Amino acid sequence: MRIQVTRTGGLAGRTQRAGLDTADRSDAPHVHALAREAVAGGLRAPSYGVPDGFHYEITVDGRTVYCADPKLTDSQHELVSLVLREGTAQPVQRGLAGGN
Amino acid sequence: MRPVAHYCTIIPPYVLDQLAEQGHEPAQRSLALDLAHRAARLQAIAPTPPAHHLTRTIRDAHHLQQAPGKPVRLEGRPPARDGSVNRAYDGLGATFALYENIYSRNSIDGNWLPLDATIHYGQHYDNAFWDGSQMVFGDGDNVIFTDFTASVDVIGHELTHGVTQYTAALDYHDQPGALNESVSDVFGSLVKQYALGQSAAAADWLIGAGLLAHGVQGVALRSMKAPGTAYDDPRLGKDPQPAHLNDYVDTSDDQGGVHINSGIPNHAFYLLATALGGNAWERAGQIWYDTLTGGRLTHDADFTAFAKATVAAAKARYQDESVANTVTAAWSQVGISTT
Repeated sequence: MRIQVTRTGGLAGRTQRAGLDTADRSDAPHVHALAREAVAGGLRAPSYGVPDGFHYEITVDGRTVYCADPKLTDSQHELVSLVLREGTAQPVQRGLAGGN
Repeated sequence: MRPVAHYCTIIPPYVLDQLAEQGHEPAQRSLALDLAHRAARLQAIAPTPPAHHLTRTIRDAHHLQQAPGKPVRLEGRPPARDGSVNRAYDGLGATFALYENIYSRNSIDGNWLPLDATIHYGQHYDNAFWDGSQMVFGDGDNVIFTDFTASVDVIGHELTHGVTQYTAALDYHDQPGALNESVSDVFGSLVKQYALGQSAAAADWLIGAGLLAHGVQGVALRSMKAPGTAYDDPRLGKDPQPAHLNDYVDTSDDQGGVHINSGIPNHAFYLLATALGGNAWERAGQIWYDTLTGGRLTHDADFTAFAKATVAAAKARYQDESVANTVTAAWSQVGISTT
């Protein structure tokens, strides 16, 4: 199972993205269960959350859901913490386009 | 008395009165119920008037990601042993003091809202936020960020999200979102400047000084004086804030770059405050406060609408037209025309 988490917002407005493949993990069954629960409790579109709150995008095997602090379910909280902590950090491309 | 179906009568009371006087029994019963319900309703909705003073409560989440947690310091109680408790307590007090003493605003909602904060939220939690009714502070991961109670301007920033929520209610995306963020930076910085008694010329105009962990290359999260220069670090990247509309960042991240493009109105405020001189919370702050709370700003205001509203607020507040002209000039320097 491939899991990707992107965290945006926060007081610092910093974007972090990390991916994790459960293929080589001994705790894969646990992570799979977490991921399924996290996706089941997620929203199909980004939510407003609160000012300066973190916003999360969780993609599990190609399916993406959204959630935002402080309304994370326990499994979403555990999953995003796990992936951001132990996953492989991925580059974040900001849609830079100057001028307005 | 058994509950009957005459709860919300549609019959006007004077008709009931007349019927009752004529000995109409259901009308007498209905009238009695009416009186009882009215008395109960008055009792039920009579609100406890909020105490007309600062009321702080600091609670400790003990590293669970759940607010509010257990109370650890109440208003008027002596300092705790935990520095986070006292910094949060003092920061709430400093923010209350600016709004109360300078803008005559009675707490965040203008109606003596008690100020509550939860500290030690989550584990290594790299953030602080206003959850719609109270403050939440993480401890930071100590790799990038330290304890989020460390900066009084960050506390002022977060509580100002509450003020905005109760007043202009600026949308939290794109330009109105960047304005929402900028207003929080402006008053966050003013909380610090007022607490330290610093003039616009003496202030550091930084947001989150003291928040970056040891070894991070930078001085703060943002600089209103020089947006884009607060940090440049291998792990944190480079401060992406623009100082001019020409460098506006179009992005879908961060609700449309609300923490990025806030650099533009931030810098306009800095330019105004330093051009006017003296204390930034006086004329410059008053103009921004009048704009935010005046009731004319729409929730979807863009930079131009906000800028025009500040010029109107300056004209309304100060007879000396050089003040409004200085506001116009400050916006012009960041690429925003108010004419």
